[in-house]
Amino acid sequence: MTRTDLRKSYEILELPDSASLREVQNAYLRLRKLYAGSSVALAPLEEEFSENTRRKILQQVEDAYDKLRSALNGERTNAKAGGAGERGDTVPELDRLEEIVYSGPVLRKIRERVNLNENAVFQELKIRTELLRALEEERFEVLPQVVYLKGHLQSIARLLGLQPDRVVEDYLRRYRDWKDDRGKE
Amino acid sequence: MTQTEKLGKEGEIWAVGGGKGGTGKTFITSSIGTYLAQKGRRVILVDMDIGGANLHSFFGIDRPARSLTSFFETGAALSDLAVRTEIESMSLITGDIHSLSAENIKFSQKLKLFRQIMKLNAQNVIIDLGAGSHGNTLDTFLIADRMIIVIAPEIIAIENMYHFVKAALFRQVKKSLKEYGLKEIVQHVWDRRERYGVKNVKDLIDYLKDAYPYFGAILDRELGHFRLHLVLNMVRSGQDIQLGAAIKSVLMKYLGVPVHFSGYVMYDDTVWRSVRDRKPFMRNYLSTGTAKEIETLVENIVLARDVTVPGGMS
Repeated sequence: MTRTDLRKSYEILELPDSASLREVQNAYLRLRKLYAGSSVALAPLEEEFSENTRRKILQQVEDAYDKLRSALNGERTNAKAGGAGERGDTVPELDRLEEIVYSGPVLRKIRERVNLNENAVFQELKIRTELLRALEEERFEVLPQVVYLKGHLQSIARLLGLQPDRVVEDYLRRYRDWKDDRGKE
Repeated sequence: MTQTEKLGKEGEIWAVGGGKGGTGKTFITSSIGTYLAQKGRRVILVDMDIGGANLHSFFGIDRPARSLTSFFETGAALSDLAVRTEIESMSLITGDIHSLSAENIKFSQKLKLFRQIMKLNAQNVIIDLGAGSHGNTLDTFLIADRMIIVIAPEIIAIENMYHFVKAALFRQVKKSLKEYGLKEIVQHVWDRRERYGVKNVKDLIDYLKDAYPYFGAILDRELGHFRLHLVLNMVRSGQDIQLGAAIKSVLMKYLGVPVHFSGYVMYDDTVWRSVRDRKPFMRNYLSTGTAKEIETLVENIVLARDVTVPGGMS
């Protein structure tokens, strides 16, 4: 990657060239939350700027993050030419922002994408690793009561820069489907 | 370089605008001025909130002996209209004109006013703009070396500010190309914007650059001066401060304008009290917290820097 490329990526994430990986991650989460959500900062301009503009911005943020992450991670992907495999871990929601369902595996994918390991989640949210794994693997039978589960989902959503309401709604729908199915057996 | 010199060059013009009334533009103007004056800078404040001027009352001046009225009605020189404030090295030109509104200023008078503003004997000329996005208000904003916008964290203020910035940007584009005899093209494209697939001022700039490659260089050069310093007033929570950062991002990404989120001022009762008592805040009433916030935002404006936004992950 060229230096101009790097500088441009920092610029898109609104960071100085000296920003650390952590700052890059924070900026990425913040911007994705802003442009994927419904902020008061955005609402007044929505009429004259199309949905397309917003998607384009999101895509730029996503690309900039990709570039900086691999650059700051020591460029492990450098050896692999072509880059076809590089985008394998892209969060699917970008393509179909409205259609994405926040299932356990999707939440894990997003978490891994922003380089937050299980321990970091414990540090930030005090959610135990066993619980996080069960939640992401949708082993519903070992999850706590809905009222607690809801709280965990909200804080995870916030940490990942997602809309808490949507995450809770999607996840609990899956949880309830599972419960219904079990009732029938 | 002395500390005073570090705060800017001689004769810098700062303009404080932002569209909506009641967001604290006048409070921010008076506080910035007071801070700079206390640091030893020679400051002149100019109240351009024509028709709604009240900057003088922030300094405990009831009825100013002279005002911009004399400039417009009797042709008095602007520099003769400055009255002293109780803060040394800061004077004030009040805009106490009941008979006029910003729309009524004639073109020739406006140019004369701008010429005289630029010649004022001060290290900082700080202009308090009125509410609204009228042409004269925008033109005053555009002559400034530092363009400051003040907003409060609520949707109407944000909406009005976007309108103000878009209008200012559009005017700057026209003004830039006018000097090259190309003003008509801007209006032409804008009037037929549907046909050209132009929906907003950002599209307009992109279209002009695309269609007329030599415009690109002109616009880049002329718009290089268009840089905003955002001040968020009446902040009540960390979430409000995050909103400031979001607004900066939206302005940059949607309108393509360079923006610094210079600082924020927490909502503070002592401000309200000092307005009531007609005392300049910085000297008498500002709580240490607010005074510190003013200091931070002024230094950030001087250095074209951003404030640190608390929050995010630790």
